[in-house]
Amino acid sequence: MNVNADPLVEDYLRHLEAVASGLPEYRREELLAEIRAHLDEALRQVPAGDETAVRSVLDRLGSPEEIVAAAAEPMPAGQFAYVPPTNGLAIASLLFGIFWFGGIGSVAALVLGYRARREIRKSAGGQRGSSLATIGIVLGWIGIALLVIAAVAAFVLLAATATTSGSPTTG
Amino acid sequence: MSQLRKGTLEYCVLALLEEGQRYGFELVRTLSEEDGLMVSEGTIYPLLSRLRRDLLVETSWQESETGPPRRYYHLTDAGRRALADFSDGWIKFRDSVDALLQHKEKGHERER
Repeated sequence: MNVNADPLVEDYLRHLEAVASGLPEYRREELLAEIRAHLDEALRQVPAGDETAVRSVLDRLGSPEEIVAAAAEPMPAGQFAYVPPTNGLAIASLLFGIFWFGGIGSVAALVLGYRARREIRKSAGGQRGSSLATIGIVLGWIGIALLVIAAVAAFVLLAATATTSGSPTTG
Repeated sequence: MSQLRKGTLEYCVLALLEEGQRYGFELVRTLSEEDGLMVSEGTIYPLLSRLRRDLLVETSWQESETGPPRRYYHLTDAGRRALADFSDGWIKFRDSVDALLQHKEKGHERER
């Protein structure tokens, strides 16, 4: 049974994501990935549409608030926090997004940005930089939009000059 | 009591991993099936994350026959040492608490 197939589970995950929004990005991503994998595993043993069984799986898991509270607890003093490395493609995507390079940069920003986000999601907390990749993707789309607008504007301008220069001969 | 449970839970995780590596779901289910621990399954994942950051456990991805790859947890040398230290301390602690509790029970019996 697919995790995303059940409305109860979907509600639960949405709720969890909302409650977890205060956690640092890499801790949040890791937690959500683990909970999703857990649900995936638990629900595989549940017949599809068995609401009572699904509810019991979610009950055993505990409330999103409870889980996030456990994740938010400060670490004992004297221990360093592990900060996962930033995904290199995410940084590259951001840079390409900033340096437009006549639209080529935008395409690169999009390709690298989406790939970076996929890698980061797959690393389940082992990498950070998902927000960098998102900014790269947004800049990439803006760059492409600018390119299209510029192309359309150039076309309209060209058509306008063609008709104005052509009108004396036809009229 | 809940503080005591919380404090000892991480060593329960380490103890389970001493027998060999386990993946998250398996580990979490085993712990939640112990009645006395009274633990919500979801709260074990943040604990596992903390143990990994403290370098007491390591993780690795392994293919599964039934679904997507699973994240396996295994004990590091530091984790093994932490568990050994805790086990020594725990046995003394438990014996002292037991002795005091039994002393109290006997006291109550005499009063009756």
